[in-house]
Amino acid sequence: MFLEILKMAGEALWSNKIRSFLSVLGIIIGVSTVIVVVGIGTGAKKQIEEQYKNLSATTIMVMKQMGRDAVSSSKLEAEDATVISQNIEHIKSTTVFISGNSTVAYGQESGSVNTFGIYDTFFDIGNLELEAGRLLTQEDVSNKSKVIVIGSGALTTLFGEEAETTQAVGQFITVSNKKMEIVGILKENGGSVMGRMSYDDAVFVPYTTAESMLGNQANMMIVVLMDDVDNLQTGMDDITTILRIQHKLKASQADDFRIFDPGSIVGAAQSSADTMSLLLVSIATIVLIVSGVGIMNVMFVTVAERTKEIGIAKAIGAQKQDILTQFLAESVILSIGGGMVGALLGQIIIPILNTFEGWYVVPSVSGVILSFTFSAIVGLFFGFYPALKASKLDPVDALRSE
Amino acid sequence: MSEEVVIQLKDVHKSYYLGNGEEVQVLKGVDVEIKKGEFVALMGESGGGKTTLLNILGCLHPLSSGTYLLEGENIGDVRDDGTLAFIRNKKMGFVFQQFNLLSRLSALKNVALPSLYAGVDKETRNTKAKELLKLLSMEERTEHKPTELSGGQQQRVAIARALMNDPEIILADEPTGALDSKNGLEIMEIFKNFKNQQKTVVMVTHTAEVAKYADRIIYMRDGKILDTHYQLKSEY
Repeated sequence: MFLEILKMAGEALWSNKIRSFLSVLGIIIGVSTVIVVVGIGTGAKKQIEEQYKNLSATTIMVMKQMGRDAVSSSKLEAEDATVISQNIEHIKSTTVFISGNSTVAYGQESGSVNTFGIYDTFFDIGNLELEAGRLLTQEDVSNKSKVIVIGSGALTTLFGEEAETTQAVGQFITVSNKKMEIVGILKENGGSVMGRMSYDDAVFVPYTTAESMLGNQANMMIVVLMDDVDNLQTGMDDITTILRIQHKLKASQADDFRIFDPGSIVGAAQSSADTMSLLLVSIATIVLIVSGVGIMNVMFVTVAERTKEIGIAKAIGAQKQDILTQFLAESVILSIGGGMVGALLGQIIIPILNTFEGWYVVPSVSGVILSFTFSAIVGLFFGFYPALKASKLDPVDALRSE
Repeated sequence: MSEEVVIQLKDVHKSYYLGNGEEVQVLKGVDVEIKKGEFVALMGESGGGKTTLLNILGCLHPLSSGTYLLEGENIGDVRDDGTLAFIRNKKMGFVFQQFNLLSRLSALKNVALPSLYAGVDKETRNTKAKELLKLLSMEERTEHKPTELSGGQQQRVAIARALMNDPEIILADEPTGALDSKNGLEIMEIFKNFKNQQKTVVMVTHTAEVAKYADRIIYMRDGKILDTHYQLKSEY
């Protein structure tokens, strides 16, 4: 019997197609918005995860103070790294690198590429693995060797899509007008320094070689890995103290370096992505609620229009419950139907959005479930009052209405 | 007609309250006895309380005071929606002046509707509804919507609907009021035949021509019954 009432409700809606469609338009828009918005939120979080994929939570970075707070004497030296690794406890490993842009050319191909001047310890800390050839060694650094290791993306840039990694090893390329031998190719990594400088698109040369190549434009950074997250804060405090002594700073002077843990940047980025998602979902929720009010409105009109029908149904033996069920079924069918169309629309919109530059939307099951549940609840909630009103109509009054 | 009393009203009062709180007495102490299989016409002046009385008999209105014995059982103070709906569904069949069919539904579905509310399965329902429509010479029109039927045909569908759950009692409010006289008389012939099935009929009408089909006429005026065996003037 419930199914039959449901069917009757469906027929009633079908007999008023345009109104039914208009009344669910809000739900359709609301649900598709929720789905897209949840997708945007998921995408943003995923993007952050990708960027900081290989970042250990125990990482501390020290760099030159830049911008407004910069002190003229501000400078960081490779020696600072040695001081840190020798004096501070609970350190797992330390490395120092400089980075900058240099023009890299092979044959006709050339371009500006992120260049890292590194010690052999860098690969370990960055979780960089070798695809072919060899990594840079301590000897390369001390000998100022003209050797280079290149990332998988840089390989494609220089040698084209079809590049054979093994063939590239042993080739010579020009980096800032210096001929250098490719000794190694890295596996695709996906990681980066603070989400900006991608390892895959970069090239790596010995620290000493890079110093003369990059000159003054080079940014130096010291990377310290602590043995445990619990020692992170102590480590940062200790490094600050020791660097201030090393740089002979007076108590009145500000730090001439910047120290931070990228792990907290990831956390902050993720929490801001969360905040954005929450905000967007709230807006979509409001849209859904407003659309629920729209459904309620339409249901009131429907009840008013079908007052006579309700009277007839009561006269031939329909209980309040039957009337309630029918009208409630109508609003729930409307909202769930709208939810379905909206979910579908969301799935269509997401790939379209992804074709635009800079958009990264991930379709998620949770978005579909969330909006579906919500639209059903909206239908039940906003349909209940009109349906209750319908069921409570006096049969004689209802029959008398035209 | 047996001697068994189906409907008995004792001192029934019915009042409405207007928006300003003023009380309007529509029925002012009505006593009625109707026997099983009897065909009773309710006549009287407009506003005399005929329709209100019919609605009370059909459990569409609660009484303000008095007793309503249906087959010997007092249902005058029943207020439970489920029970009242059950009585309307199983014991009564309504026939209205304006037919009151659901325009969205086919003739067949209209007829079957009371059984849907009774919880009868679809197949049984449709078989019964088809049978009834055939009985009323409507077998060719089962899938027609009410708008595609003439007034007389619509009233036949409405009668079939009233008979759907085999009620003891048929309540009719001016069943021929919206029909031309030819169709009206045909409908009255159908009503006359209810007697053969031992169905009790209470029919409100203004028209003497229609009322003369009844076994007796109850005449009402100003909320009271003036005559329980009213005689029509001889020219009818």
